[in-house]
Amino acid sequence: MNSHPYLRAFLAGIFVPTLILPVFLTVFIVVRLWLQVPVPIERGLVFPMALVPALWGLWNMLWLASHPGTHLSIGAHGAVLPLLLMPAGTLTASCLGILALGSRGVTWFQGVYVPYALIAPCFLAALAGYYLVWKYIVGFLNRVLGIA
Amino acid sequence: MNANDELRTKKLLQQSLPPVDRDSEPARDLWPAVLRRLDARTAAPPWFDWALGAGLVAFAAFFPASIPVFLYYL
Repeated sequence: MNSHPYLRAFLAGIFVPTLILPVFLTVFIVVRLWLQVPVPIERGLVFPMALVPALWGLWNMLWLASHPGTHLSIGAHGAVLPLLLMPAGTLTASCLGILALGSRGVTWFQGVYVPYALIAPCFLAALAGYYLVWKYIVGFLNRVLGIA
Repeated sequence: MNANDELRTKKLLQQSLPPVDRDSEPARDLWPAVLRRLDARTAAPPWFDWALGAGLVAFAAFFPASIPVFLYYL
């Protein structure tokens, strides 16, 4: 099983966000089509459904390529990904009109208000979550697929 | 293979294989070490990871508004 290691790394990387996609679809159907809540949730689906899975796959490929030189653990490598995703996601959300910057905080999806004081803890929580997910889930998948 | 061949084969095998020395057995029982090795492979996550996970759950419980934002970035 030594052939196509980068393809296997990509598949292991997209596993987690791909599992989340049906959750997004369910939320979209319930909120938008069934409850008819006037929230532009379909615009918010662009980033997590189109970009995030591919970025996870590419990030795992990058870990496979750089690991012999850096010896960085898979958890630490995954924890760096939010540094890339946060600005990209915020820029995408801002361009799509689902993120509004206010004087005291940020309003997501025209309804979810996050004060500025909470953004730093949110970011730290994202780092911790990514560290755990990459260490235990992506790392396990890499071992199963024979690339770790 | 007749009886003569069997005897010859037996003799060749005895000549080629060294005699088993009774003193070459390990001085201690190796099975507990094997069990420890197996247990080490399924070791529980370190306390730091448990603390991180608990902190994440507590954060989501105290600030539920952050959950859709997290899902957006996942």
